[in-house]
Amino acid sequence: MHISEGVLSTSVLFTGAILSIAGLALGLRRIRNADIPKVAVLSSAFFVASLIHIPIGPSSAHLVLNGLVGVLLGWAAFPSIFVGLILQALVFQFGGLTTLGVNTFAMAMPGVVVYFAFKKFIKKGRNTAFIGGVLAGASAIILSAVLISIALLETEKSFIGIAGTFLAVHLPIALIEGIITGFVVVYLKKVKPEALG
Amino acid sequence: MKKTLFIILFVFIFQSLIVLFYSVSTEAHKVSAYVYREGDKVIGECYFVDGAPCKNSKVEVYDKEGRKIVETVTDEKGNFSFKTSNKDELKIVIPAGEGHRAEYTLAALEQVTAKNEIKKTGTQQSRQAQELKLPESLINKDELRQIINEAMDSKLQGLQNEVRNIRKQLDTINYRDIIGGIGYIFGVWGLIMMLKGKKNAS
Repeated sequence: MHISEGVLSTSVLFTGAILSIAGLALGLRRIRNADIPKVAVLSSAFFVASLIHIPIGPSSAHLVLNGLVGVLLGWAAFPSIFVGLILQALVFQFGGLTTLGVNTFAMAMPGVVVYFAFKKFIKKGRNTAFIGGVLAGASAIILSAVLISIALLETEKSFIGIAGTFLAVHLPIALIEGIITGFVVVYLKKVKPEALG
Repeated sequence: MKKTLFIILFVFIFQSLIVLFYSVSTEAHKVSAYVYREGDKVIGECYFVDGAPCKNSKVEVYDKEGRKIVETVTDEKGNFSFKTSNKDELKIVIPAGEGHRAEYTLAALEQVTAKNEIKKTGTQQSRQAQELKLPESLINKDELRQIINEAMDSKLQGLQNEVRNIRKQLDTINYRDIIGGIGYIFGVWGLIMMLKGKKNAS
């Protein structure tokens, strides 16, 4: 789900950077000191998740876990994912330093959106929380796929084409991540309910 | 205590998941290329981060001025080759689609040294010819050059493969990278925590 260096035009990169900086500023202001270990754990979860590839037909995609990060962190998903992305770019050469802004926004913003959309579900009983988690995990991936397609719109010309392939490849990922997020939410509810804030 | 246990468990689950999936993944995310020259032929190999070939992918070649000179496609093994008389620096771009892209800069052939070498082999050849008291016309310069080239090619083949393997290893992800990356993340957040803590205290 990372866009490599040299694919996007300067204006797209610039827009992505501005949006991400706004998100980062907002996220950093929201983080309390006590939340930082949680943010760090989710940063590294996000960092390693990208190495778990799931072969789908001729192509393959990897886990993103932005839904999980979003549900647990809210706006703090921005700095958390940003740190994970910097290291993915430096260590694995996934994405790139110039595309950091676009990639951060495309992955963190859906996390924030699902946080607000499913907050109420997750605060309720176990079953409702599980369903909320599944929906949050799955819709974050789909939203990210849409955002990445929009970013690639200029380069790939046919939006329907690129969005189609992207969504098709990421539907199984959305399903898997939905289930992961659902279980994590239920587990945290039992073990450490304050983590769901 | 519970918190630490939770963190350890989390990281452990992820590590095992990686082992599980990493070994079976057939295709991966990052695209890399390895390109070299052989005479006027340019040969390249294109592969994903786990070493799997990048099949049927478009390959674009640009010259020093940024003009596209060749466009070709990789085969089933991710290999491609093309002929070019352009000895300058070449830029090989592999747009693998969906926002993926690899770039490789092929260094210019140094014509000056090549000429020098030819001159040297030329004089050596004539000296040898004199020593052996052979008429110079018996060994054609071009023939000799070809013989040397062939001998060099077969000798260099092993080295070429070795370089390719090392490059592939460098491009693929290993455990050190993963664990190191996690370490960096905790370090960065530790630093942020420290700075925030200081601000709160003052």
